[in-house]
Amino acid sequence: MIKHFLKITVLLFFLKGIPLWSQDCDFVISGTINDLHDGTPIYGAIISIEGSDNFAQTQENGFYILEGLCSGSVNLKIEHTECNPIKKKVSIDENAILDFELEHHINELEEIIISDNQLKGLNGNAKESRLNRDQIVRFSSQSLGDALTTLAGVSSLKTGNAIAKPMIHGMYGSRVGIVANGVRLRDQEWGSDHAPNIDLNAFQNVQLVKGAAALKYGGDTPGGIIVLSPPKIILGDSLFGQTIINAATNGGGGSLTSKLMKSTSNGYYINGQLTAKRFGDLTTPEYVLSNTGMKEINVSFKLGRSIVIKGWELNYSRFQNETGILRAAHIGNIQDLLRALESNIPLRIEPFTYGISAPKQQGLHQNIHLIYFNQFKDNFKWQLDYNYQVNTRKEFDVRRGVSVDIPAIDLKLQTQNVLANLKWNKTFSWEFEWGINAMLQDNFSNPNTGVKRLIPDYLKTELGSYFVGSYKPSNSFHWDWGIRLDQVDWDVQKYYGVSDWKTRGYDKVFPQFEVKETGTQILVNPKLNFINFAAQTGFSFEIGEQFETSFSYVLSQRSPNASELFSDGLHHSLATIEYGSLMLEKEISSKFLLSLSRTQGKLKGSFEPYFSRINNYIFIGPKGLQQTIRGAFPVWQYDATNALIWGVDASFDFNFSSQLNLDLNASYTRAQDLKNELPIINIPPFNSTQTIKYSSPKNRYDVEVVNHFVARQKRFPDLNFSVNTLSEGSIIEQLVDVSTPPKAYQNLDLFFSVYLGNPNKSKTILRFMIHNITQTKYRDYLNRMRFYANEIGRNFQFQLVYSY
Amino acid sequence: MVKTIILYTKQTLLFIFLISIFSCSKDTPEIVNEEELITTVELSFNTQGESEQKIRWETTAPNTAEIILKSNTEYEVQITFLDESDPGDIENINEEIIEEVDEHQVFFEFSGVTISYVQSDSDPLDSNQNPVFINTVWSTSVASSGIVRAFLIHEPTTKNSTTRNGFGGETDVSVDIPIRILEE
Repeated sequence: MIKHFLKITVLLFFLKGIPLWSQDCDFVISGTINDLHDGTPIYGAIISIEGSDNFAQTQENGFYILEGLCSGSVNLKIEHTECNPIKKKVSIDENAILDFELEHHINELEEIIISDNQLKGLNGNAKESRLNRDQIVRFSSQSLGDALTTLAGVSSLKTGNAIAKPMIHGMYGSRVGIVANGVRLRDQEWGSDHAPNIDLNAFQNVQLVKGAAALKYGGDTPGGIIVLSPPKIILGDSLFGQTIINAATNGGGGSLTSKLMKSTSNGYYINGQLTAKRFGDLTTPEYVLSNTGMKEINVSFKLGRSIVIKGWELNYSRFQNETGILRAAHIGNIQDLLRALESNIPLRIEPFTYGISAPKQQGLHQNIHLIYFNQFKDNFKWQLDYNYQVNTRKEFDVRRGVSVDIPAIDLKLQTQNVLANLKWNKTFSWEFEWGINAMLQDNFSNPNTGVKRLIPDYLKTELGSYFVGSYKPSNSFHWDWGIRLDQVDWDVQKYYGVSDWKTRGYDKVFPQFEVKETGTQILVNPKLNFINFAAQTGFSFEIGEQFETSFSYVLSQRSPNASELFSDGLHHSLATIEYGSLMLEKEISSKFLLSLSRTQGKLKGSFEPYFSRINNYIFIGPKGLQQTIRGAFPVWQYDATNALIWGVDASFDFNFSSQLNLDLNASYTRAQDLKNELPIINIPPFNSTQTIKYSSPKNRYDVEVVNHFVARQKRFPDLNFSVNTLSEGSIIEQLVDVSTPPKAYQNLDLFFSVYLGNPNKSKTILRFMIHNITQTKYRDYLNRMRFYANEIGRNFQFQLVYSY
Repeated sequence: MVKTIILYTKQTLLFIFLISIFSCSKDTPEIVNEEELITTVELSFNTQGESEQKIRWETTAPNTAEIILKSNTEYEVQITFLDESDPGDIENINEEIIEEVDEHQVFFEFSGVTISYVQSDSDPLDSNQNPVFINTVWSTSVASSGIVRAFLIHEPTTKNSTTRNGFGGETDVSVDIPIRILEE
């Protein structure tokens, strides 16, 4: 691989173009760069000349001046963090004034992520697949999962209110990648009750790539990839910051987040950011959800230097949280579960408290990231990333005879990753990227918990290479493609019960893994390897001013995760015993996405159907009962089937006037297990959001009313089982209904924002929000706590955003 | 040119260095010493003029043993919870239950047989003088057969109830043992 890398770099050296230097080099180009939509000046945009290190940056009034230009024809590139870069060929034979207009709200990652929504990038209607700064600010005291649900096609799989896992088109966990600051987040994404360890406040843009086409970051995410990018560095002297304060009535808590960024004219920059959150028990319209408090404290720090053509950066972030799990959801056996299901209210309701006791989760995620990039020979830019992430996770259960301070699950996951990326463009229209990625992951499961390991100790290595390219001959046509190959190796050490090892037939199929038997347990050393191939291609084009369409196809292959392979234990909130399977093979998914959108005067509509067929779709399903000292338990085991998932995301936007706007959003997903001819579990039901927004003239304030409608999921597999209870001297067989989804519901939110000062450059925003105004009592199919309690009731929230 | 090549060599070396960070190996994991396990439930029955009857329910056994009682008789019954996962170190969980008596409750339910039970004089009491039902006195009635379900409840929501559901809390033990009451 390394030899190959050398060969390529040497080869590239000879491909070097001939620079266009010529005699007179004292011409000057100047002008202003404005926002295409509202004409406001864009600050911090970079105008550079391709193939040289000559560049300029716009001032606050959008003005730039580029000096020392030679006569002849040059390629100008205009870039800004929230805009799509544009390129322009100009011939220079005199001093000139050139003004440009940039399309705002598109982030820099657009150029490296080949996304299925490229077209939206072109036209700026990127609302459905992107969260902008303002939306991120609104969700400042909540989680990434919550914020993303505002996008069509995204739901969240929840455990209570604080633990929210993003779900794209019915897929979550290992099927959805999260890329923050250019690196893939490596936490314990396999557990459905683990929320991503990410502080939304550290980022300025969140982009959703539904087609998983960001092959640079992995080819194993058939659901899609969520890309979070930090604020762009300003080149030049600057110092600014922002503080956001939130206070909410429900949970009696709030958050504080503050960031400060400083940069100097010689390219150095330093950023710091801090977030603290604290909430007590949340409440539904009728009762307190005991033990649902949370606290979180996050810090991040960045230091670097960038002089456009080369630079480096050091990044550190730390995320720490503690989250209570609804006390009533901790149960001992299926009779307890039945009792909980039959009760309309949680079986344990205590007075409100800020205290968090067992059951609870503690997570700590630390990330160190080093970047170095350099441009050589005109259009070649290479970048080297080194990244080290440590994720520790502790889960505390209600335990008998063991100190409450000893967790029942205590995992430490360390991941190192090296990425080398080379990017070049042949001409204006063609752009390529090639890179190699190496990852080593080490999981350690602390044996001092006194509980059988849920996830075993393992070493996992991944070695991958990708090659992606795009062709963009004009602003109305775009073609992109990419391929990626990964090798994944597992080296696992796990104790199985001897009888378990034998009854599952592993002693016959995998005798080579056996290491030694110690009493009732056997130590095995599974060595598994997978080779995954991924490919994608997509087109997008505009037909006239009004109609845009894009199509993309993604092939992704995913090897089973640690949970799917090795899970081994009791799930306390569902009273199920879950087993992984060593027999699993890689999952192969083909996904087609089509996007059609049309703008006609004040109307804008988009329609995005998608279709995916997955072979070896890994799911967990019932596999009989197991007798224990707590009675019989349903056993669930990971297995594979073939699946078909399709659906539509649609949106419709109508501007009654420049003040009044109506926005409708809807998603439908349908998923079927083809082998067992059953619907797939935990698929979001039909849901729709309607928003009416009124902005005052001159943008002094705006009012937004949002209605959410979630239908009942009518397609679900029947996973019910029965339990014998003794009542008045006789045995009664009772059905434990864990399958029937809750009823449809509707709830209403209100946002009122006041912009103080200059409306276009407001430094201070006051925002008042009410969630669930009508005190709707409802349960959500995608919340694992739905068996025990209602969703939270009305919440008044006050937000102050101050920028300086 | 030479300078450029040197630069690339340096970069490649850096890359090799980073790759070499990846070489490491893993120690054999320690075996987990499982705590809070209960593997065995033992019921002992004593009545005047008879030798003690002991019935065991074990997680590793088929558990077909039947309790045989006489009709219209009172029995002193003791329930014992054991952790026998390590034969060299058998733990009596009763000690722990008595230590954390406020957080535990033993309870019996019957089907097919009519038996009433009360705490015995030797039964430990919690801080509110509620019985734990480790030591009970069972009164049998007519001849019949059925099962007894023995529960150990952790953190019951109330300590005064006559049904399993009434106690709330989490079930730590729920075992069914066949029982037969013979005509005296």
